[in-house]
Amino acid sequence: MSFIIFIKALVLCLLFSSHAYADEVLPQITARLVKTAIAEGDFRQEKQLKVLRKPLISTGHFTYHHSKGVAWKTLTPILSLLLVNDTHLLTSQGEQTVPVAFGKIFTAMLGGDLAGLSDVFFITGTNQSASWQLQLSPKDELLKKVIDTMRLAGDDELRFVEIRESGGNITRIEFTRISHPAQLSPGQDADFARLSR
Amino acid sequence: MRAYHAKAGAGLWLLGMLVIAMLSTQALTKDWLETGFLALLPPAEQRPEIAEAVRRHNELNNRKVIWLAGAESTQQAVTLAGELKRQLQQSALFSRVLMQLPQQAYIDQYRQLFPYRYHLLDGQTRRMLDNDPQALIDQNLEMLYSPIGQMQAAALERDPLLLSSRYFNSQNPFKFKLEQGIVMLHDGHYSWALLLSDLQDAHLQLDKLEQLLALADTASAHIEAAGGRLMVSGMPLFTARGAQSAKQEISTVGIGSSLGIMVLLLATFRSPRPLLLSSLAIGSGLFAALIICILFFGKIHLLTLVFGASLIGVADDYAQHFLCDSLGVKNWEPSKGLRFILPGLAIGLLSNLLSYAGLGFSPFPGLQQIALFSASGLLVAWLTVVLLFPLLLTGFTFDHQPGLLKWTGYWEQRWPAWAFKNRHGLALLLVALIGGGIWQLRPQDNVRLLQSTPAELTDTADKIRQLFPVSRDSQFFLVSGKNQDDWYRNEQRLLENLEPLKQRHALEYYEGISGFWPDARKQGENYSILKRVLYDSGLLSRYMSNLGFTEATVKAELQQFIAVENNRLTLPEWLKTADEGKRQLWLGCDSASGCQSIVALSGIKNGSALSGLQDLPGVSWVDQVGQLSSLFARYRVRAGAMLAAACAIILAGLALRFGWRDALKISSVPVTAAALALAMLGWFGQLFSLFNLFALLLVLGIGVDYAVFFYIAGHKRASASLAVTLSALTTLLAFGLLAVSKTELVHAFGFTVAAGIVTALISAPLLGRSGRR
Repeated sequence: MSFIIFIKALVLCLLFSSHAYADEVLPQITARLVKTAIAEGDFRQEKQLKVLRKPLISTGHFTYHHSKGVAWKTLTPILSLLLVNDTHLLTSQGEQTVPVAFGKIFTAMLGGDLAGLSDVFFITGTNQSASWQLQLSPKDELLKKVIDTMRLAGDDELRFVEIRESGGNITRIEFTRISHPAQLSPGQDADFARLSR
Repeated sequence: MRAYHAKAGAGLWLLGMLVIAMLSTQALTKDWLETGFLALLPPAEQRPEIAEAVRRHNELNNRKVIWLAGAESTQQAVTLAGELKRQLQQSALFSRVLMQLPQQAYIDQYRQLFPYRYHLLDGQTRRMLDNDPQALIDQNLEMLYSPIGQMQAAALERDPLLLSSRYFNSQNPFKFKLEQGIVMLHDGHYSWALLLSDLQDAHLQLDKLEQLLALADTASAHIEAAGGRLMVSGMPLFTARGAQSAKQEISTVGIGSSLGIMVLLLATFRSPRPLLLSSLAIGSGLFAALIICILFFGKIHLLTLVFGASLIGVADDYAQHFLCDSLGVKNWEPSKGLRFILPGLAIGLLSNLLSYAGLGFSPFPGLQQIALFSASGLLVAWLTVVLLFPLLLTGFTFDHQPGLLKWTGYWEQRWPAWAFKNRHGLALLLVALIGGGIWQLRPQDNVRLLQSTPAELTDTADKIRQLFPVSRDSQFFLVSGKNQDDWYRNEQRLLENLEPLKQRHALEYYEGISGFWPDARKQGENYSILKRVLYDSGLLSRYMSNLGFTEATVKAELQQFIAVENNRLTLPEWLKTADEGKRQLWLGCDSASGCQSIVALSGIKNGSALSGLQDLPGVSWVDQVGQLSSLFARYRVRAGAMLAAACAIILAGLALRFGWRDALKISSVPVTAAALALAMLGWFGQLFSLFNLFALLLVLGIGVDYAVFFYIAGHKRASASLAVTLSALTTLLAFGLLAVSKTELVHAFGFTVAAGIVTALISAPLLGRSGRR
């Protein structure tokens, strides 16, 4: 009997330790991530809207620059470019309101700045040898009205993001072919120049 | 007999003062002090509806105070702003303190306007429907497939074309970043949290203005202690700083001139009686002036009191003339003395009153007040001297030689002799000084001269405008029409003309009601075009099916569209949903003047391109600042003519009493004084505006005063020179101190009068001397 209790306690302990609070897990995961000034790669985004029978699937290419922000180039099914940094959001329809905490989440996420995310979210997570996973829930009342929870997963790169909105819509984004070039291509430079105008 | 006269005069004076004291109980009980800058400006010289529009436009702007709490991190800025908000609310100065954007108001507005989404199309959506409906569909797809657009996706079920979000997007063209519902402005990596507040009352009393300044100062200290920064701006702050410096100036000028006069009088007369009597004359003059002004104007402006403080120096002159007459006379009798100096006193008073009357004819309420204040103050001080002094000076003797007399002796005897010897060189020098100075004059006609604004406050205001370019400019368009249809057509035409100007960056932004609310006819048009190009053409059904809507949802949308065909939103209904800023644009309809609205403008860069649009039917361009500046310029020219007329009147008046030859001689003193004062403005690069010319009127008045006293002095030249020197010194003390003022206008006044009086003082003794030879 006491043996069984001991086993249960041990399991609980193990569970607890692997499901530790952000204070411990975040630095570990952050340490694993490749951190460079520039990251780029392909994405596949799947938006599941309640009212639609099928998901809205788009693919494209993203570029992250530590000070300039993120360029999100959708290639299919419709060509478009979205540029975002901490304070500005630019689409083909001009300057847009930066949605609540969006600029910060987007740049922090793609730049591997998980500590920055903990300003906005309560974070719990697990860190195993093959991969890590984080659960994020908003601290801010206003953000809660839009985002219910977020899930991030990856290894030495961020590979997967899931955003569950309060209204029931779900967005999933997968990242592939991530690379870390030393500098931006002229085309990418030109894109970012529009944002800092 | 004489004693009887003296007593009757004193009784008359006492009676008059009693009447004024009685009136004061009525005048001083209400709120009688005015501090606002706008109260100094003349009422708009235009149609009453424009004046009304200006009033409405200002009413909203003049209550707003903008606060920006800044810090290195967004989170800290939010925290600081939260504390600031608490402080502002506790102060009870504000009717509204806005930090978080009013979410509920937006939700309500959305709900109220949603049924009209097919009718209230924004300009851009309408243009796309007219030209390329597929582009509208593509924009929606772009939004839906992008990583943003969560709000739009959430609304997709009820509004598949996203018409509502398009409409609301166009209503709020400034895209600000929100952090916990607070507008965040970014300056590099520095974050500023925005707080807007409205004062309870656009016309704050002085103590409330001081509270506002104190609040801004403590809040700033508080935030800086926490490692942040505070920026505050808004019209009330400008008014408060102006009032603060005016108050300081009143005490500087008042205390400074009083102290100076006390020292001068005690040293000269070595007896307290002259000092007490002078104070009585000045005190009753100022008191009466205050009461008369309040009774006449209802309120008195702080700036008038600044000038009032300087009046002490002029009001004192009459007492000096009377007192100095007794110099060295054995058994001097006040009544006899009065008879001797009365012509001089009367001419002095008349010329001073005449010059103040000149101020009264200007269209500026501020100057009219100063004119009435000064004229009534001088009159009462004069009456005090003439009516009361004969009684109170009984037995007064003045037979010692005051130290000042040595100086005045040198000045009235040796200086004229020397000057006469060197008259050719002096005349040449004078001509060169006057000619050279006037040649260097550069007129300035800016309305801002009326207000003292610390550079720091202007810099902050500019910085805030750069970060938060929403605040409306003072220029705007007034649009009118015979009826609502006519007004709508006129405003639409104006907005159509403004759009290309905005594209060319002649301005940042314009805002007119018809840009948000289409009239019934246009609502019908909007609906019809949607029906034709999207609903009837099948484009909508294809778009919805491709996205993945079910058949049933597509059908429901089509039915919903048909069901609301005859919905129309009236203007009053739309106004109810609009925020305060937009509601304020609508001035209403009445049977007399038809319908009117304001089209507000922000970030104007090319004013002349905008003012060109006033040729459109029903459109008026309203530019208060520009109008006032041109008014200043016009009145500067007119004041010049008035100055010439004043010279002519003085000359004619003097000729009546002394004959033409001597009148020319006497008036050469004030004219030289005025010309040299003007020249000094040029030499010292001082501001030259309308107000300096008004100051020259005073110089003329005072100059005549000195000249006449020297002219009629005869054997009493010593006492006349003592009196004139004392008068000049006290006036200099008072007006010279005005030159310390931070308000350009007051400073210019002080400088001009000081330069003029020095010249009059120097040239007056030349008069009697050359007259004798």
